[in-house]
Amino acid sequence: MKFTSVEDVQKGLSEANYIASREIATIVFLSAATQKPLLVEGPAGVGKTELAKAIAKTLGRDLIRLQCYEGLDEAKSLYEWEYAKQLLYTQIVKEKIHDVISESHTLSEAVDKIAEQEDAFFSERFIQTRPLLQAISSPEPVVLLIDEVDKSDPEFEAFLLELLSDFQVSIPELGTRKAVHIPFVVLTSNNYRDISDALKRRCLYLYIDYPDQELETRIVKMKVPGIQETLVQKLVHAIVKIRNMDLKKKPSISETLDWARSLIALQVQDLTPEVAIDTLNVICKYRADTELVKQSIAKIV
Amino acid sequence: MVNLIIKFVALCRTSDLKVSTSEALDCISQLQLINPVDEFQFKAVLNTNFVKTRRDQKHFDRLYSLYFHNLKLDVSHLENQDQGVDLYQEVLESLQDAENSNELEKAIVEFLSGNPLLLLEKLQKLRTSELISSQALKSNLGGLSGRLEIMLQINQTRSRMTRFMENQAGSAEIRSRKQIMDNLNRRLDVALNMLTEENKPYNEGLKQVKSGTQQGKGLGEKFFSSLSQSEVEEMRQVIKQLVRRLNDIVTRRWALKNRGTLDIKKTLRRAGRYHGIPIEVIYKKRPPRKGKIVTICDISGSVWSAARFMLNMLFSLQNCFAKVRSFVFISEIAEVTGIFEKHDINEAVEKVMTEAGIQYEALTDYGETFVRFKKTYMDVLNKKTTLIIVGDGRSNHFNPQDQILGEMRDKCRRVVWLNPEPERFWNSGDSEMNLYKAYCHEVRPCQNLSQLTSFIQELVL
Repeated sequence: MKFTSVEDVQKGLSEANYIASREIATIVFLSAATQKPLLVEGPAGVGKTELAKAIAKTLGRDLIRLQCYEGLDEAKSLYEWEYAKQLLYTQIVKEKIHDVISESHTLSEAVDKIAEQEDAFFSERFIQTRPLLQAISSPEPVVLLIDEVDKSDPEFEAFLLELLSDFQVSIPELGTRKAVHIPFVVLTSNNYRDISDALKRRCLYLYIDYPDQELETRIVKMKVPGIQETLVQKLVHAIVKIRNMDLKKKPSISETLDWARSLIALQVQDLTPEVAIDTLNVICKYRADTELVKQSIAKIV
Repeated sequence: MVNLIIKFVALCRTSDLKVSTSEALDCISQLQLINPVDEFQFKAVLNTNFVKTRRDQKHFDRLYSLYFHNLKLDVSHLENQDQGVDLYQEVLESLQDAENSNELEKAIVEFLSGNPLLLLEKLQKLRTSELISSQALKSNLGGLSGRLEIMLQINQTRSRMTRFMENQAGSAEIRSRKQIMDNLNRRLDVALNMLTEENKPYNEGLKQVKSGTQQGKGLGEKFFSSLSQSEVEEMRQVIKQLVRRLNDIVTRRWALKNRGTLDIKKTLRRAGRYHGIPIEVIYKKRPPRKGKIVTICDISGSVWSAARFMLNMLFSLQNCFAKVRSFVFISEIAEVTGIFEKHDINEAVEKVMTEAGIQYEALTDYGETFVRFKKTYMDVLNKKTTLIIVGDGRSNHFNPQDQILGEMRDKCRRVVWLNPEPERFWNSGDSEMNLYKAYCHEVRPCQNLSQLTSFIQELVL
């Protein structure tokens, strides 16, 4: 399926259980229309990864995910030769090699004969594809999610740049591989460090912030079906207030959802200060934060 | 439409937003895909192409509303529209024709006629001038007088405009005349606003570590500035232990983690022992990834007490990093890496105070330090460098030159600012912390050993 308009994107995403603001929808639409990668930034837990999943679901494509970390290299992201397998095969077919060279009289003749067989060892059979190569060579179009790209090293970023501008990679032993279909690429970043300008230039930039109260209410209602209207209102109201406090880590949407789910599990009907204090661990991930919220709980709930 | 966008791009560039040609092209081609009359979509397209970091967002919003809203030639409410447009032209022409008009005045008239480029250029120049004051006598008046000049010019233009309109009293209806006057006056107000309003930097992704609540009264919680001589010695011992522990952890990690790809050469050689059967598979050891550290320390007064412990720790942990380079400053900057490499830590700390060649009577000047750093040492920074600045950000009201810190940020991997003052004193008095904060990846207070330790641990592990 393809997106035809901004409204279409918004509708599609909401069917995939993702409520997108108009800004998000516009930029996702552009990204799909121009086949440019989408760079998503924002605080942790506002649904950056979730957006990629929703896009994949809406477009009916597979999602291939590459999680970045310090030290990630081509061998782990693109492809790797399976050396162990190659060695094993060499041992097994040793006899066969013997047959191949048995008729040759000189050493150089033998070497030539083996060279003819070289392809057998550097073939698809021994290549281990990693996410990036998978995304490029997949016969069906896919959504490629490159998660937390800011955690990777600058070298990897430069390599990514090459891939994202041409959508082709070269494997020395096999030749250049061009993308069968250009994947829908989503990069996410937590702003741990700045991403190079060159990479940014190739991407459409989208910043997802904490949602406003109305949007968050809608999200909770959709993701936690069966929750009571009054409880949602109270819950979201409290979260917004907690977010405005001076905390080490602000609760994001995922924490709101966790909180709502745990209240349901506890079969709580009404959010009282006591209940809130008992369940604070779900939304505050630091002890100092918990203390701070506890102190002003009367104002929050 | 294309012209409109190109003008806006020029505007963005003069105000320090990085917009490349390819981004402008993308933007124009993308505008054809959406409905440009829907302002929401229109703005979203411009936004996604021109703003590539959250820190530029406010800046962009300001320019956008200036260009597309405040400066729009709005005659729709006039009864006699043609006449209104004519009158506009007349006013502007008369202003342009003025004798001995200087460059500044031209910029303002251009601004009035809907093209703010020249004026913005002027403002930007004022904001980013990097003059090193040559002698001991320093002042921060350069920027101020520049601003004053523009302000006077704006007022002068306003009065000339009013005079012209009064002379034209008969030519148009009173009402439309008044409306045009209002419109032009409003624009001049916008110009004045731009001049006086500080560009408030804005940094969403900033990691700000809070000083936790004090627990206990141990050595770890004692302020660096209030240590007695014997406690300083004790502190050194504690640091030594800490460093040893950290070193151990780091070595163990590398031993475990760094199995690289197959080492064919070695595997084959080893296979020779077993009739060519590769029983033992040998992997390449990946060299440990080490970051480079560059520290810039304020060594005036109270800051130094914290900075020396940090330098002590960093240099003891040398083998965890590819390279540690240190600079110290008060108003000049000097490199002290050599001193720390050659001497034992105690000696080194003493030597820095005597040999670095820094004037101790001078007032701390962060701005000038940055200017000098940029001139001499900028090549020290690269994408693998973590820049650590230790200082209270108190710059004695000299020009803070915060945009240079921005350039430094672009050059290196991370910028961390350690401030030996408690947070509640930041931004008070002559502290420029708010400005500098905008360009840092992380700011944290650093008043006692436990805060310092947690920082170093995060840095190393």
